Amino acid sequence: MNGFDLAIALFLLGNLIVALLVAARGPTSADRMLMALLFGSTGTGILVLLAQAMHIPALVDVALVLALLAAIGGVAFAKRAWQGDGHD
Amino acid sequence: MIRLPWLRILLFACLWWILAEGRVDGWLLGCLAVIAATWTSMVLHPPAAPRLHLGALPAFLVYFLINSVRGGGQVAFMALRGRRALQPVFLELPVNLPVGAPQVLLITVLSLMPGTVGVELADDRLRLHVLHQDLPVVAEAKALERHIAALFGVGI
Amino acid sequence: MTELIMPWISGALLIVGAFFYAAGTLGLLRFPDVYSRLHALAKADNLGLGFVLLGLALQAESVAAGLKLLLIWPLALAASAGVSYAIARRADRLGVKPWRKGSP
Repeated sequence: MNGFDLAIALFLLGNLIVALLVAARGPTSADRMLMALLFGSTGTGILVLLAQAMHIPALVDVALVLALLAAIGGVAFAKRAWQGDGHD
Repeated sequence: MIRLPWLRILLFACLWWILAEGRVDGWLLGCLAVIAATWTSMVLHPPAAPRLHLGALPAFLVYFLINSVRGGGQVAFMALRGRRALQPVFLELPVNLPVGAPQVLLITVLSLMPGTVGVELADDRLRLHVLHQDLPVVAEAKALERHIAALFGVGI
Repeated sequence: MTELIMPWISGALLIVGAFFYAAGTLGLLRFPDVYSRLHALAKADNLGLGFVLLGLALQAESVAAGLKLLLIWPLALAASAGVSYAIARRADRLGVKPWRKGSP
């Protein structure tokens, strides 16, 4: 099943690239913030698939840490948006 | 005799077991990690703080999983149809849940439910962006509120 | 028996996951404003990740390794919920109006 896992990983990578290009195009800065979402979901997906396909279990830890950082970043982002009344 | 927070210790021990992928050679480090994590959690979230009613958790999780699949399926279907499937509106709802964790959980989970994304929460009013004006958002938000109220053991 | 069927279930779950990722990207391409794009990414991509993780967890060598994969999901959900809220609110503050039928 390893070639299959790799194929799915590459498919997700293609998705990530297209989505990043679309998000980077804007038009508003809020659109560009969508890029932060993409790494949390697609990025971790690619990492766990690669871990399985290439037999590198440590990549699961990388994905876990990436997701953890994304979660902390998300909470920080939301808190800032919550409290940053008026001057954002 | 100090009462130990057994539930938390058990929880962190399980977490360590998962992170170590079931290996037993790192248990010494694991014990230290569990003690540190339990102590940190007791400082940051003392037992006197509002408790979750764990009995209500399974029902909430099932509700969440079903609706998150529905939400993903719905938005995938709309993406296939393109923008003619959309008729977005902003919607304002009164929130009956208490301020703090219950309200935060509400807006968080609503962003993963079918058709809604939370835009703003202020003064017990919740502003949502809804993908199509005919979606039964109000009823679904009420149902979610009931689940969260049960989870936190508060009345609404 | 399970040994025979499991790879197929796992493979099917991975394909379903990939489909949701593709739908998220498609939504990003085709939806008209930042709010509706947010729906596409926050919901479809996360569901895609959920299916991929479930599919891989079925292939995992031990129960703990499988659970470790599943542990990633709630973290990713928390991340996207927080970021989604920040983005929606930011767009609202910037004065971005939601797209209406009939406008370009």
